Amino acid sequence: MSAKHAVLGLLLDRPAYPYQMADLMQQRLGPSWRVNSGSLYNTVKALESDGLIERVHRSPDGRDERHVFAITQRGVREFERWFEQTPDTVRLSRRPLLVKITFAGPHRLAQAMSKVDEYERDCAERLNAIAGMRDALPGTDEKLLRADHLLLRLNLSSDVFALEGELRWAQHARELLTWLAEQEGALWPNGSGGERGSASASARTQLFTRIARAGSDREERSNTPRAQHPAPERAAG
Amino acid sequence: MLLSLDRISKRFERSSGATKLALTDISLELERGQIFGVYGPSGAGKTTLLRIAAGLVSPDGGEVSYDGRRLNELPAGELMRLRRREIASVWAAETPPAGLEVLEHVAMPLLVDDRDHRGAARRAREALAACEAEQCAGMMLNELSDGERQRVAIARAIVIEPRLLLADGPARNLSLIEQEAIMVLLSSLAHDARVAVLVTDSDSETLVGADSVHYLLGGKFVNPAASTHPGKIYQFPGRSRQAAADA
Repeated sequence: MSAKHAVLGLLLDRPAYPYQMADLMQQRLGPSWRVNSGSLYNTVKALESDGLIERVHRSPDGRDERHVFAITQRGVREFERWFEQTPDTVRLSRRPLLVKITFAGPHRLAQAMSKVDEYERDCAERLNAIAGMRDALPGTDEKLLRADHLLLRLNLSSDVFALEGELRWAQHARELLTWLAEQEGALWPNGSGGERGSASASARTQLFTRIARAGSDREERSNTPRAQHPAPERAAG
Repeated sequence: MLLSLDRISKRFERSSGATKLALTDISLELERGQIFGVYGPSGAGKTTLLRIAAGLVSPDGGEVSYDGRRLNELPAGELMRLRRREIASVWAAETPPAGLEVLEHVAMPLLVDDRDHRGAARRAREALAACEAEQCAGMMLNELSDGERQRVAIARAIVIEPRLLLADGPARNLSLIEQEAIMVLLSSLAHDARVAVLVTDSDSETLVGADSVHYLLGGKFVNPAASTHPGKIYQFPGRSRQAAADA
């Protein structure tokens, strides 16, 4: 999503200068909403030319970029339309790391694993930072319950959970790559390998077929009338 | 229907005299060849549910039926026969006896049922092989890794060639690859050996692949009109609720 609706949302509460908007976005939505002033300026300009926001007054020093903007009626309607009508579907990211691992091939598995390590460290650092930010916010037991603080926690939690998921994935990736590296005979898309033993698979098939048959026999027996039900047999000696 | 729990409830008295509702109004039905997953946090009542299904604990209310017969009306000898021959279980908190070899440990359920020694050892080997743990046969129980211990515990459970398997957190504390291997084993046990499998875990993701997955919280099923499609965990509000509580 672009920053457009976040700006409209901010201006629903009160008018603001563009530079305030950048700060407020981060204060309300968290660090992943950091925007540079150039792109924010473009967003504000586009919103203004669409008639969704308007300049309400000029700052005392008269400089152009110090104009205060407020949301227009059309802007409010656009925010409401977007709120109601845009579906909130999850978007999975396309990580370059996955492309690297996928096409690493059998001879580059070790390098792929060190990329995973790097990724994991990065996730851990960012998790520490964001979880720290979240924990520094006032809790739910404060005298004055501030809705914006609570909702910021919700935003930060979203990043925390996502990073936890990434860490979990990294752990899984390492396990899987280590395991794959140990497997002789895995079939690779370049045609190498492709022979695996299946002794335990056939042991499983044999035993499970027997269990299935024994279960069906018992089922048949228990479907016979109770009076004729055989007494519990002693084990075969 | 092989196992049926009908509106089960269970209370525990605390030493303070207060009562804890361990299970409230729990119903479930399980057929041969089905795998039924229950997930929930520690203390949700998962183990109590399995102990009631195994006939080890009587519920305070409701009925447990096995193969059309009410467990609480069975003579003690018959209940014991069921537990030795048909209802197998894997318990999370079980500490295996020290000083025992894996093969003996796996064969034990047959030996206490008076089966002959050689036949029991052969079947124990077969069960270990089916669980990909044949290499553990000669090891001592305390030498096993966590993953091997779980495979051995499942081998010990299926050595009796049961009709019902109750598995309490069999994938707990395992790496994701081992978790997957355990769940593949249990699914195969349900779908190929036609055993009814009731399995619990603290995490729903582990249970993806079960025929239905239910969320147990505070002794109640959350959203009892649950998914019947393999791996459909998203119908359950539990996870999102937990996330909101943590936020």
